[in-house]
Amino acid sequence: MSNEVESAQVSDATEVTLLSSSAEIESHAGSCDEEMTLQLLKDAVQSLPHHVVKDLLSVGVCSRCVLRILGSEDRIYCHPLLPQSILRSILEEVAGFKSEGNFQLCSVCLGILQLSYCDDKETMVKMESPNDMASTIAELVKTEGHQIDGFSLEVSVPQLILENESSLLSGMKKINESELWFQERMLSKCVSVKDVLKFAITKPLETLLDVKSTSAGCFRIRLTYTHKRASDNSVERNQGFKRRRISTGNGLHNVYDKAVITSKVCSDYSTNETISVTGRSSNILQDQETFEHLRIPIDKVSEPCHLVYLCYRTHIYLCGRYLKYSRNVSQTRWIIDEERMGEASVEEIIGSNILPMCRGDNYKFHAAGREDIDVRMLGSGRPFLLEIQNSCQIPSEETIKEIESKINGLENKLVGVKKLKVVSSQGWTLMREGEAEKQKQYCALVWISRPLEDEDVQSISLLNDMQILQKTPIRVLHRRSPLERQKIIHWMKIERISGSPQYFLLHLCTQAGTYIKEFVHGDLGRTQPSIGSILGCRAEIMQLDVTDVKMDSF
Amino acid sequence: MVDQAHKPEETALPNNLQQHHKQDEERQQQQQSVLENAEYEDEELHKLLVPDVTQLPLTPSSAVESNFASYFAPDFMKPGNDQYVYRHPNGLCVVGLASTHSAFKDKGEVSAVDFNVGKSDRSGMKVTGKRKKASSFGNAQHFESNTALCKVCTSDDSYIIRSCVKGSLLEVNERLIKQPDLLNSSADREGYIAIIMSKPADWLKVKSSLLSLEELKKLREAGSILPSHNSS
Repeated sequence: MSNEVESAQVSDATEVTLLSSSAEIESHAGSCDEEMTLQLLKDAVQSLPHHVVKDLLSVGVCSRCVLRILGSEDRIYCHPLLPQSILRSILEEVAGFKSEGNFQLCSVCLGILQLSYCDDKETMVKMESPNDMASTIAELVKTEGHQIDGFSLEVSVPQLILENESSLLSGMKKINESELWFQERMLSKCVSVKDVLKFAITKPLETLLDVKSTSAGCFRIRLTYTHKRASDNSVERNQGFKRRRISTGNGLHNVYDKAVITSKVCSDYSTNETISVTGRSSNILQDQETFEHLRIPIDKVSEPCHLVYLCYRTHIYLCGRYLKYSRNVSQTRWIIDEERMGEASVEEIIGSNILPMCRGDNYKFHAAGREDIDVRMLGSGRPFLLEIQNSCQIPSEETIKEIESKINGLENKLVGVKKLKVVSSQGWTLMREGEAEKQKQYCALVWISRPLEDEDVQSISLLNDMQILQKTPIRVLHRRSPLERQKIIHWMKIERISGSPQYFLLHLCTQAGTYIKEFVHGDLGRTQPSIGSILGCRAEIMQLDVTDVKMDSF
Repeated sequence: MVDQAHKPEETALPNNLQQHHKQDEERQQQQQSVLENAEYEDEELHKLLVPDVTQLPLTPSSAVESNFASYFAPDFMKPGNDQYVYRHPNGLCVVGLASTHSAFKDKGEVSAVDFNVGKSDRSGMKVTGKRKKASSFGNAQHFESNTALCKVCTSDDSYIIRSCVKGSLLEVNERLIKQPDLLNSSADREGYIAIIMSKPADWLKVKSSLLSLEELKKLREAGSILPSHNSS
């Protein structure tokens, strides 16, 4: 038995009817229309086959389930302000049924459509109207401080409900198949418990939260109902929402610590009460009341469902370009044997400053390529993408500017950020596309074993789109495949340094993936040609800076 | 760049043309400021790039010196067979002939290098993949420290160069086949013999028998062919 998950974007015929009825209901809103609502409800109930209603009520089917199972077209019974008690009394009145004493959980929907459930504090909750329930949810959203511009409501109910329903329906069919009322009302699929609940609370939620319900929204409100009988298998309990472990170098706290997720179930408080009140046991064999129109193979329900609310937002993405001014900062968090390499990382500086502004749970940092820890990233900066998980709010333009200033104004001046903005999940594709193809521009401080001549400057500047062959550098040979890679040096330019005959700045633009350091010092001859071999002397690289990562879309 | 044609005193210009010129001028001003901004940024960038010459050493340490720890094995397996082992922090060892090797004392220079020694031709070996262990790919040969790598020939004599380090052979310097002269010009760099991956435990065992450059030099100054205490 598993929990089903269904989001608000169900698109079938029922949804259309729901919407049109909703318009009707809306037009009836207002206190002076209360009478009208009640009248509509009475009319709807009147049109049902009374004897069947009576039988259903007798076996513990709740009012809303009766109405939906009997194919009541009017959604008036979903009206947000309609109190349970009134709905119930109208039904009983029309059907000529008198319920025995206290409240009994519905044998089909397990109390869900009676707005009864057990909350995370193990307390039995019984809402009077859908509006009350919506209020509770809205409170939760506000308390957690979510800033939203829309929401998407998801409801998950135990499979047991569907089983109950289908047994009930097949039982009814066997006896009443030939009846007119059956053929008129019950041949098409009845509205599901989920749809009724969603319909009942969506409108009031929209009003309370002052936003629209939308299937396109990234803010989700999920109601997960579980029932002891249905959830003896612990796997199902968590199937409703994806609880992914966020591993990676972030190693930060786990997700979803905002919502209360318990797998405990309500205690059996209700068992004693209902048994004494109804005088019925939960054993089906002893339960042999005969009903004219029903063959009831369903058990009595002694325990309510356990309800968990969860508000979450799907990922938001921020992209931009970062600069690295320090030669002692790694790009990502780098720890060897519990010791950090370098004094900080770009990933952590950027991530830790953005995460609180988005009030998210966790972040993941992705960049278009990387540079060594001792190489600075200057100029236009390197494109990066920051994935924020389960954030409470999408940062506004001002917030983004604030973030940029904050990071750029940090005292230690290790990292800078440019062009920060929020993007859709397509930022991913954009970045991957640009990564491998683009050219990179560098500036290297080079020393040669003899004084620099004018001819050297000249000859270097003439080399365009020069092909080089690089064997996997020795410094990475332990973890990369030993291959010979062909790379292109697009252009080079020597800039003399006054006061130094043997040092100079080498500006160069190369194909992505070129090992610059090895191109300068030759890596014991394993990169051919190298600066040393071109100039006919020994060359060493003192410093390297990345000055441009050409990527238009970022 | 100023638009020379636009002179405010010329009232002869009709109105719409005047507007056009004005737009042009604005646009040019915008472009100008963009250029200036770019130039400013370039200047700022440039400032960061140019080093302080006074801080630069006259002769910086080489890539080998900076990235590797150099060790020397004097008289390895045979008197005069001085070899070096450069060890990288990642565990890879580059082995080659030390400058004090007997081969460089011969009258003739190194003329040939032959990798076809021992059981197989070392130069024909190809190691593939990231995990270069024999167990995974079956082609990274396991060498003991005394396994032969190659034979170096001068006009007078020939010398067997050995692994020195126990580990997996990743690469031999095939360039030496066509350019044996590399050993004469730069045995300590482009003339390296091979690259071997050694496990930390194996390395530690061999390390204790190796010398630093200073120790080697001292040893050789004392008397060139005398066997050292540490030959393995």
